[in-house]
Amino acid sequence: MQAPDLPKNEPSRLNSLKQTGLLDTQPEPRFDRLTHLAQLCLGTEIVLVSLIDADRQWFKSKQGLDACETIRDISFCGYTILGEGIFEVPDALLDNRFADNPLVLNAPHIRFYAGVPLVSDGENIGTLCFIDSKPRQFTDKERQIATEMGKAIEQEIQDRLQEHAHEQLAAREQMYRSVLEGTRIGTWQWNVQTGETVLNERWADIMGFTLAELEPVSVDTWLNLLHPDDVADSEAQLEAHLSGKTPFYDIKCRMKHKQGHYVWVHDRGKVVANTADGKPLMMYGTHADITLQQLSEIALQKNRDELYKLTQQLPGVVYQYQSWPDGRSAFPYASSGIETIYGVTPEEVRSDATNAFAKIHPDDLELLVNSIERSIETLSLWELEYRVIADNGSSKWLSGSATPERMPDGSTLWHGYIQDITQTKEHYLKLEELNQQLKIAQQSLDLASEQAQIGYWQASLKHGTLWWSPMIYQIFGLNEQDFNPSVSLFKRALHPDDVVKVEQSEDQARITGIHNVIHRIIRPNGEVRWVHELGQLVSEDKNPDLIMIGSVQDITDRMKLQKIKDDFISTVSHELRTPLTSIGGALNLLQSGKIISLPEKAQKLMDIASSNCMQLSRLINDLLDIEKLAAGKMLFEMKPLNVPPLIQRALNDHQPYADLHNITLALQHAPQINDIRIYVDEHRLLQILTNFLSNAVKFSPQNGKVTLSASVIGNQIEIAVQDQGSGIPDDFKSRIFEKFSQADASSSKAKGGTGLGLALCKELTEAMHGKIGFDSSTEQGARFYVRFALTD
Amino acid sequence: MQLDKILHVEDDESIRVIVEMALADLSGYTLVSCDGGKSALTQIDQFTPDLILLDAMMPGMDGLQTLIELRKKPHCQHIPVVFMTARIQQTEKQEYLNAGAVDVIEKPFDAMTLGDKLNTIYQAYLSSSDSDVTE
Repeated sequence: MQAPDLPKNEPSRLNSLKQTGLLDTQPEPRFDRLTHLAQLCLGTEIVLVSLIDADRQWFKSKQGLDACETIRDISFCGYTILGEGIFEVPDALLDNRFADNPLVLNAPHIRFYAGVPLVSDGENIGTLCFIDSKPRQFTDKERQIATEMGKAIEQEIQDRLQEHAHEQLAAREQMYRSVLEGTRIGTWQWNVQTGETVLNERWADIMGFTLAELEPVSVDTWLNLLHPDDVADSEAQLEAHLSGKTPFYDIKCRMKHKQGHYVWVHDRGKVVANTADGKPLMMYGTHADITLQQLSEIALQKNRDELYKLTQQLPGVVYQYQSWPDGRSAFPYASSGIETIYGVTPEEVRSDATNAFAKIHPDDLELLVNSIERSIETLSLWELEYRVIADNGSSKWLSGSATPERMPDGSTLWHGYIQDITQTKEHYLKLEELNQQLKIAQQSLDLASEQAQIGYWQASLKHGTLWWSPMIYQIFGLNEQDFNPSVSLFKRALHPDDVVKVEQSEDQARITGIHNVIHRIIRPNGEVRWVHELGQLVSEDKNPDLIMIGSVQDITDRMKLQKIKDDFISTVSHELRTPLTSIGGALNLLQSGKIISLPEKAQKLMDIASSNCMQLSRLINDLLDIEKLAAGKMLFEMKPLNVPPLIQRALNDHQPYADLHNITLALQHAPQINDIRIYVDEHRLLQILTNFLSNAVKFSPQNGKVTLSASVIGNQIEIAVQDQGSGIPDDFKSRIFEKFSQADASSSKAKGGTGLGLALCKELTEAMHGKIGFDSSTEQGARFYVRFALTD
Repeated sequence: MQLDKILHVEDDESIRVIVEMALADLSGYTLVSCDGGKSALTQIDQFTPDLILLDAMMPGMDGLQTLIELRKKPHCQHIPVVFMTARIQQTEKQEYLNAGAVDVIEKPFDAMTLGDKLNTIYQAYLSSSDSDVTE
C-alpha cells in the first residue's frame, strides 16, 4: 500500500478547509440531498462528501456507509486532492497503490473508486467520491454528471459560508446595538460629500429632544447646537482628521440642551468610506454625554488649582513619597516648596528621590533611613527632625511628618509635610543650652544658699501666690512636705514685736520697689531666729503680675556677734572715756589757773598733758565714728543749712587752738552765699571742717595764715581750708584718705595726729552725698575742700 | 531765772570731784553730789535742785531707773534732768531724750565750759516750759 503524498500547499489548504467551518458539524439535508441524488444517478453503492483534514478524512455527507471518518493514509481521496480533475480507480485489486489497502481487503471492500476534488477559496479541501465493491469504469456521461455534482456541492459550501457570515453579522449588530443602548451613547452618520446626516434617538435624547423634533436632520442640526466658543476647535479637529493627520475626529465640546443649558459631549468619529477618487465619503461616530464627568474634572481641576495655591503659601513642602521593595523611591507629588526645603525641583525627584537624599546631612542619613524602614514595617506615622545641607554649605533643620499607606504593588506611599525649623530648632538648642546653664546656676545657687543659709522666694503681689526655696523651710523650721508657702504661714511665724516693722517695709516696697528688713521669727518649736529679708519688685512695666523676688537669710549668729560687738564698743567707750573725763577735767581746771596758780614749768607740763589727753580723746572718737560708719550705724540728721553761720562757728571753735599756735584764721565768702543752702548734717560737717582746720593749723608755719572759704561752683558749694604749709608730698597724695596714713610717720608724734581724720572726713562727706578733695603745691601749701549740691 | 541749785549723781568719785570744782568753785552754783541713784532719791527730799545732772551708767540703779524713780516724787516731776554719758551711740542718746531728759552731755566734757553749758540748757528748758504754759 502506498499512502498519498501531501499537497505542496498543504498549510493553506488546511486553512481553507478550516474557514469553511464544516468539520465535525451535524449532517445537513442540503448536502445529503445531493449525495443521495448522485447515488441514484450514477448507481454506485457509496457516495461521500469527504473533507481531508491533517491526518484523517471526515465525511460531511455519506450515502451507503456508516463510518464517519478514516485515517488519511489509507484514503483514496488523499490522491484525488493532488490533482485537478476526476480521479478514477477501476479495480483497486489491480492497482499497486491500493491492492493491499485495508479498505479494499476488508469492508467496504472497495474495488471501484472515483473522486471529484471540491474547491473552496482556490484550495482542494476534499472530494465528492463514488465507491463500488465491483470493478467498474465511468462513461464520459457519468464523469460529466459526477463533475457537475461536485460543483453543486461546492456551491452549497459557498452558500453555507455566506449564510453563516450573515448570521454572524446580524448577531454582531445586535450585540453592538445592545452595547450602545447599555452605554447610552448616541451615534451619527454623515455623508461628507452630500451633507446627509443620520442621528439615532439616543443622540437626540442627550440634547433633550426626540429625533422627530430634530427633523429634518442635517449637519446644521449639529452645528446649530454647538457652543459658539467650541466651533473653531471642532473645525480644526475635523480638518486634521479629514486630511489624514489624526486617526479620529475627537472633541469634547459643549452643546445646547433643549432646556437652554449646555451639556458636555464627547464626539468621536472616523471616515469609513472614501469616494472613488479618494475623497472622504462617509463618517460614522459616537456622541456621549460627559457632562457629569466634565463637571467633575472641572471641579477636580479647581481643587487642584486651589491645592496648588495653598501649597504655594505653605512655608514647607506638601508631598507624596513612595518607596518600593526593590529600593527605588520617588516623590510622585511635591509642592514647589521642595525647592526651598531640599534645593531640588518637583520634576527632578518625581521618579527618583536620589537627588533629595543627596542633600541629607551625613550624620542624620542613617537615622532617616531607619525611621523610614520602621514606618514601612509598622505602617506607623513617620516623624523626624533631621538636617539637610544647602548648596551654600549651611545646614538646615527640618521637621517631617507623613502617614504611610501600602500600595497594591507592595510599595509604600506616604502623604506628608516637611518644614524648615532651623530657627525654631536653633532657639530650642539655645534654650537647652540656657536651661543647662540655668540648671548649673540653680545648683550653684542652691549650694551657696545652703552654705550661706540664704533662702529665696518669689511672690506675686497681684495674685497672692508665693514660692519658697527649700532653705526657707529650713530657716523657718518647717517640713517642706507638710506646708505650702503662703503669706499667712509667713505671718504666723513673725515675732509679734516685729509685725509692724515688717509691714512698714512691705508698704515701703510698694513705693520704692525695695523690701529690706531685719526681724525675728519664731519656729514651731518656739526657737527665736533673726532673719534678714531683702526683696525687690521687678519694674511694673515689665512685670504685670507684680512679681517680687527676694531672699531670706538666717542672721541669728551674726546678730549674736553684733550684740557682743555693740556691747564691747559700748563698754570700751564707757570705760575709756570715764577716766579720760576725769583726767581731762582735772587738767582743764588746773590749766585755767583759776583753781590754783602753777609755776611756769608745771604749767608747761600741764599743757603737754592736756594736749595728749585731747589727742587721746579725739582718737577714741574717731575710732568709734569709723566703726559706726562701717557698721552703717551712724545716723545723719540731714537738713537744709545756711553756710555762713556754719563756717563762722567752725572758725570760732578753732580760734583758741589757732591762737595757741600763733596762726591767723581768716574767713572768705561771696555775698550770694548768704542765700544758699546745702543739705547736710550740721554736726558732721563741723566735724569735717574741724579736721581740716586742725590739720591746717598744725602744718602751718609760725605766724602763718589759714583761710576758710566758701564759694559757688556750678550747682555746688565748695567749702575749703587753705594753709601756707609745705604742701603734700607727691608720694603721699594717693594714700591721703586712707586710714592710719600719714606723710611722715614721725609726724603723728610731732603734730599729734591720729591718721584717721581725713579717712573719716572722706567717709562722712560721701555719706552726705558730697565730694572731698585737695590741691597742693610746695609754694602755696595745701588746700582741702568738700563740695555739696545746692538745695532748692 | 538763773540756774543756782544742781544735784549731781555720779558713781565715779574722780568725776564727782572735777564736776564739783567746775560747777561750784568755778561757776559758783550750789551743788550737791550723790554717788548713785539710791542716795539721790534720799537726797532729793532734803535738797530740791533747779537741775539734775545724772550719769547714765551706774552700778545698781542706773540713770534711767533713777529718773523713773525721781519722777514718781511729786516735787521732782518738773525738774529738768541732763544726762551725762560716755556711751555716745546715737540710739542710746535718743533713748535718754525719749525717757524725759532735756539734754545729753557727752564724756569727756570740757570742765571749763560745763557751767555755762548747763545754764544754756536750763534757760532753753525754761523758755520751752514757758511756751508750753502759754500754749
